[in-house]
Amino acid sequence: MRSRFDDQLDVLNTAMITMGSLCEQAIATAAKALAEGNAHLAKEVADLSEQIDQKEREIEGMCLKLLLQQQPVAKDLCTISSALKMITDMERIGDQADDIAEIVSMDHLRPMDETEDIREMARAAIRMVTQSVDAFVKKDLEIAHGVIADDDFVDQCFDRVKDTLIQRFSMPEYDGEITLDLLMIAKYFERIGDHATNIAEWVIFSITGNREGN
Amino acid sequence: MTKRIFRSISLAALGAMLAVVAIIIGVLYNFYIGEQKEQQWQQTELAAQGVAQNGMGYFEELELEQCRITWVAADGTVLYDNRVSAESLSNHNEREEITEALISGFGESVRNSDTLMEQTRYTAQRLPDGSVLRLAVSQNGILALLAQVFWPILVVVVAGAVLSLMLASRLSKKIVEPLNELDLNHPLSNEGYDEVAPLLHRIESQQREIRKQSGMLHQRRREFETITNNMDEGLVLLNEKNKILTMNASASRMLESDGDYTGKDILALDRSEAMLDLLLTARRGKGAERITEKNGRQYRIEANPVFSQGFFSGVALLIMDVTEREQAERLRREFTANVSHELKTPLHTISGCAELLSNGMVKPGDEKGFSNQIYTEAQRMIHLVDDIIGLSRLDEGAEDMQREEVDLYALAQEVAGRFAPTAEEAKVSLSVQGGQATVVGIRRMLDTLISNLCSNAIKYNRPGGRVDITVEAAQREARLTVADNGIGIPIEHQSRVFERFYRVDKSRSKAVGGTGLGLSIVKHAALVHDARIEMESQPEKGTTITVIFPL
Repeated sequence: MRSRFDDQLDVLNTAMITMGSLCEQAIATAAKALAEGNAHLAKEVADLSEQIDQKEREIEGMCLKLLLQQQPVAKDLCTISSALKMITDMERIGDQADDIAEIVSMDHLRPMDETEDIREMARAAIRMVTQSVDAFVKKDLEIAHGVIADDDFVDQCFDRVKDTLIQRFSMPEYDGEITLDLLMIAKYFERIGDHATNIAEWVIFSITGNREGN
Repeated sequence: MTKRIFRSISLAALGAMLAVVAIIIGVLYNFYIGEQKEQQWQQTELAAQGVAQNGMGYFEELELEQCRITWVAADGTVLYDNRVSAESLSNHNEREEITEALISGFGESVRNSDTLMEQTRYTAQRLPDGSVLRLAVSQNGILALLAQVFWPILVVVVAGAVLSLMLASRLSKKIVEPLNELDLNHPLSNEGYDEVAPLLHRIESQQREIRKQSGMLHQRRREFETITNNMDEGLVLLNEKNKILTMNASASRMLESDGDYTGKDILALDRSEAMLDLLLTARRGKGAERITEKNGRQYRIEANPVFSQGFFSGVALLIMDVTEREQAERLRREFTANVSHELKTPLHTISGCAELLSNGMVKPGDEKGFSNQIYTEAQRMIHLVDDIIGLSRLDEGAEDMQREEVDLYALAQEVAGRFAPTAEEAKVSLSVQGGQATVVGIRRMLDTLISNLCSNAIKYNRPGGRVDITVEAAQREARLTVADNGIGIPIEHQSRVFERFYRVDKSRSKAVGGTGLGLSIVKHAALVHDARIEMESQPEKGTTITVIFPL
C-alpha cells in the first residue's frame, strides 16, 4: 500500500518538475521574444502556456485523488498540499509569460523602447523561477530563501523602470501607448517574481511544515 | 516448533495417563464383578440345597438383606419372594434366567436399571422337583463406581497433567535450543544434532555459491564503473520510470551533479526542454539526439530506448561535450566562406581586365598595364591557393609525416638563402645568428614556419630595415627568433593576427601580396611541434616573434 503511495508521490514529483521546466521555458521564451521583437517566438509562448494549463489540471487531479484515496498525514500531506498551491503560482507564471508575449506579438515595440532595467528584470525573474524550481527539485531550503531575497531586487528594478517610463510620457519621441505596454511588461515580470517567491515559500513549507512570510 | 513439540509431548503424556486410568478402572471393575458373580452362585447353590431339603421352611429362618430370593414353580408361578408378596407377582415363566434354568438347570441374566448406576444380576437354579430358585443381587454400575473414585482420579489426573505440561515445556525448549543457537554464517562449525547436518552442509554450499556470485557481480560492477568512469562521454542509464540507475563520472560533471543522484529522477538533474523531449521520444521507442547548451558549453545528448524482452525497460543517455567540435565546425565554415571570398576578389579583377581587353575597350598602349594587373592577381591567387593547400595539409594531421632531427640553425640559413633575393629587392638586410639547435620535427613544416616568419618580416618592413633570425639552444628548449624593425603591429590587432585571413591593414596587405594565412600557418606548425609562440611588437618599431621548441 505504502509503496504504491510512494510511487504515486514519485509521479507527482516528476509532473511538478516537468511543469516547472515548462514555466522556465515559457518565461525564457517570452523574454527572448521581447528582446528580439520576435512575434513567432510569442506564438510559442502561447503554446507553452497552454501546456502549462494542461499540466496544472493533471497535477490538480493527481493531488485530489491522493488526498481522497490515501488520506495522507504529516509530511505527505505537507507535500501534496504545497504541490496544490505551487501549481497555481506556476500556472500564473505561464499566463503572465503569455501576456508578455501577447504584447510583443502586437509588433509595435521598437528595440530602442526597451530599457536595460526591463532586461535586467527579465533576467532576474527567469533566475528566480529557475531557482524556485531548483529549490523544489533539490528540496533545498537555502535556494528557496535565496529566491525570497531576490524578490526585493526585482521590486527595485520595477520602481526604476517605472521612473524611467514616467519621464518618457513627457518626451515627444516616445509613443505613449508603447510606454504603457512597457509598464505592463515590467509589471508582469514583477508579478512573475512574486509567484516565484510564493513557490519558494511553499517549498519551505513542504520541507519544514512551517508557513513563512505573510 | 517449540509449540508443536510442546503440544505433542503434553498430548502424549495426558493421553497415556488417561489410558492408564481407564484400563485400571476397567480391570478393577471386571475383577469386582467376577468375584460378586461367583459369590452369588455359591449363595444360589446353598439356597437351592436349603430349599430342596427344607422347602418353605428354609425361608423362614433365612435372613438375607442384600439379595432378593424368589422361588418359582415349574409352571412359572411365584411360590415365594422375600421382598414382595408372592401373590402380587405375575407368572415368571417368560424370564430369561428362569427359562434357561428350566431347560439346562442353571440360568443367569443381567438387567440394567434405567440410569446405568445400578444393575441387577439374576442367578437361577432348578431344584430337583422341577421348581426354580432365583437370587437377585443389585450391584453398582460402572458409573457409580466411577462416581466413587472420581475425586481421587481427578486429583491424580490434574497433578499429572500439570507435571507433564511443565516437563513438556522444558523438554521442548531443550530440544529446540541447539537449533536456535545454530550459527548460520558458519554452518559447519555447529555441533548438535546429526539430523540437521545435511541441512547445514547444504546451507554452507549455497553460501559459498552466493559469495562467489556476489563477488562476481561486484567485480563486474567495478569493471563497468572503471570503464564508464574513464570515458570522456557521459553515460547515464535510466530505468523505465526515468530514475537514474547508474551515471559515470563524466556525466556527473556535465550535468553538474552535486551528490549522489542514483535512484532519483533524471529531471532532478536536468529538466531542460531538450531532455524532456528526448525522454519522451525514447519512451516512444525511438532514439533521438539533441544539442543543448549549459554554462557556455555545448553538449550533444543521445537518448536510446532500452528494450528487454520486447518491453521498454529504460533509456540510455550518452552525453558528449561537443563545444570544441562545434567550434571547429564553425571555424571551418567561416574558413570556407573566407576562402571563397578571398579567391573571388582577384578573380573579379582578372575577369574585369580580361573583359576590357577582349572587348577592345582598352586604349592602345594600356594593354601592358592591364596584363600586368592580371598577372599580379593571378600570382596572388597562386599564393593563396598554395597557402590554403599548405594549411589543409597541416590540418590533415601531422601524425603521418616523418619526424626527424632537424638543425634549426642550418634550416634557418637555408631559408635565409632562399629569401636573399626577395630581401635585396625590398632593400632589407637579412641575417642568421646563433648556433646549432637540433629539434625532432617535420622538416618540411619547420621550413614553412621559418619561411612564413621570414617572408612576413621582409614584407612588413621598410627599405633599409633589417631582419635578424636567431637560433639558440638553451637547457630544455630551442628558441627561434625572427626580429625586424619594420612597421610593427598595433596593439589591438596583436591578439588576432594568428587567425586565418586576419589582416591588420587590408590595403597594404593587398599591395604586398599577403593572403592573411602566413601567421596562421606558423601557429599551426608550432602547435604540431608542441612549440609555443611569443610575440612582441610595437607599431613603427618592429616585431619580434619567438618560437620556443621544447627539447
